[in-house]
Amino acid sequence: MARAAELTGPEVRRLNRLSLPPALLLVPAGLFLVVFFLVPYLNMVRMSFLTKAPGAAFSHVLTVENYLRVLQDAFYWRVIARTFWLAGLTTLLTLVLGYPLAYTIARAAGPRRPLLLMLLLAPLLVGAVVRSYGWMIWLGRMGLINQALRALGWGEAELMYNTLGILIGLVHVYLPFMVLAIASSLEQIPADVELAARSLGASPWRAFWRVTWPLSLPGVFSGAMLVFVLALSAYVIPILLGGNNVLVMPMLIVQMLLDAFHWPLGSAMAMVLFGLASLVLWLYVKAMNRALRWIPR
Amino acid sequence: MASVQLAEVTKRFGSVAAVRRLTLEVRDGELLTLLGPSGCGKTTTLRLVAGFLAPEEGRIRFGGRDVTTLPPEHRNVGIVFQNYALFPHMTVAQNVAFGLEVRGRPASEVRARVGEILERVQLQGLEQRYPHQLSGGQQQRVALARALVINPQVLLLDEPLANLDAKLREEVRFYIRHLQRELGITTIYVTHDQAEAMVLADRIALLRDGVLQQVAPPEEVYRRPRSRWVADFVGLCNFLPGQVLGREDGSLVVDTPVGVVRCAGAADAGRVVVCVRPESLRQDAGGTNRIAGVVRERTFLGNLLDLRVSCPRGVVLRVQLPPVRDVRPGESLALAFEPQDAWAVPEED
Repeated sequence: MARAAELTGPEVRRLNRLSLPPALLLVPAGLFLVVFFLVPYLNMVRMSFLTKAPGAAFSHVLTVENYLRVLQDAFYWRVIARTFWLAGLTTLLTLVLGYPLAYTIARAAGPRRPLLLMLLLAPLLVGAVVRSYGWMIWLGRMGLINQALRALGWGEAELMYNTLGILIGLVHVYLPFMVLAIASSLEQIPADVELAARSLGASPWRAFWRVTWPLSLPGVFSGAMLVFVLALSAYVIPILLGGNNVLVMPMLIVQMLLDAFHWPLGSAMAMVLFGLASLVLWLYVKAMNRALRWIPR
Repeated sequence: MASVQLAEVTKRFGSVAAVRRLTLEVRDGELLTLLGPSGCGKTTTLRLVAGFLAPEEGRIRFGGRDVTTLPPEHRNVGIVFQNYALFPHMTVAQNVAFGLEVRGRPASEVRARVGEILERVQLQGLEQRYPHQLSGGQQQRVALARALVINPQVLLLDEPLANLDAKLREEVRFYIRHLQRELGITTIYVTHDQAEAMVLADRIALLRDGVLQQVAPPEEVYRRPRSRWVADFVGLCNFLPGQVLGREDGSLVVDTPVGVVRCAGAADAGRVVVCVRPESLRQDAGGTNRIAGVVRERTFLGNLLDLRVSCPRGVVLRVQLPPVRDVRPGESLALAFEPQDAWAVPEED
């Protein structure tokens, strides 16, 4: 292998680069994001500082009243805490359930691998609404599980319209994201690394904990981040499987915007959720970078 | 330290036998290279010895102790992989300490032993680096240190030089040989590079399609190959098919297309192939086995002139002469080789 004759990364990239200024390549996606994401978002920031007007959604009077209402009310804090708690628990459960699955997929040989991947991804073809209704058929008071329990004379269980129902739905819907992230990380671990650990005297479990697990952490971290963010902003599943018994922030925000028609307060609530989520993610990324400092940068 | 014995070992992948009825002994303290083209079963053999694979048939013993079904973590084998397989999330010191830590050695001992071995492979000062911050040669030495720190009974090296550039390869080759001799550790070294095998090995074991072809010291493999395939795989060789006429003064007399030649060989009758190395052919009008020819091609290799010489009955010989006198295409040459420099092998492989 003639190393010296090979072009290194940057040279190849320079050679293969289209002769367009890089900024120009960002224009299409950038334009889309500005028009459909940034502008509405900034509008929402502005909205959160406006005042509710009688008979209208808002009036152009600037105020911080909305933020004070959210931040000073113990009720909102309880909902915020519940939202984060549910998202965190969903993340933990998808990790616990997803890791063995990801491991199996990553280590599957031959035609088993694409088959397992297909089975994992097939549910994504069905939207969250349909899947939630599917769960309702199973979990409801007249659902299949309770029918079976009654038939066995064991009474019935509250499986839905509570935290448990939401958790079941969230874990089910977001599990594939966790599994894919972990599996792709596991697949990048060379098989020889584990064998090296074994030859050095580590049992299979020891080799897993000292080598495979830490090397799969990039996938665990990114999967957890993805699931956490998705679960934090989930709306359909909490509303369908939680009924109106378990309030989470996205539900409250939608109620405020559409039912109460209080756009400024709803916007402020969204901003608070966004701010807290950003803070959590910032701390998370810092911790992640410390744990993964062995990765070449 | 221990010897390694493989007895009638067979390993199949599906219907394909990667290793077939392999019987081989690596002597205590010896460096044996497993040499063969890719897919010949040499890496499979190494993995069988390491315990990563289990044979379908046969037994593997370390110094008389049967380890055939022993998992790798109980074999006390040091292994250096082709890609080194360093733990990317551990520093150099942590990589090397791993084998001692899983053995539950006290921290003070671990620290001392790691320091000692890193000094031995000249990596002091790099303890806190991660593998990706090291050069290929340094990574290779970390892999070696990690394998040696556990005082393995057997050291296994899987093409350890394949990822180094030519200059470094030369250097590390001698370094590994030196270290192995100094430690007196039984070593199996897998390579497809016959020059590497020649330099390093006490003995070379040649594998082809999972079947052992020959086990012998490098010189014997080169000068007295067991078959045409071995002669062809190790170094350059001319092959002269012929019929054995008989024996005379200890030499075999063979009728070949370039005339009747005298050579050494095990066969006593029938069809044979006479192997003559390009460097065994000299410019000599008075030698024992004389061949006249015309130079067709000439390549200057620095220390040698590499020639293709047309001989009677369409035979083309590869000849390597010292470049003391230049030879030009079209020139007639009188070539000769000594009987002991040619070796007859059975025609059938």
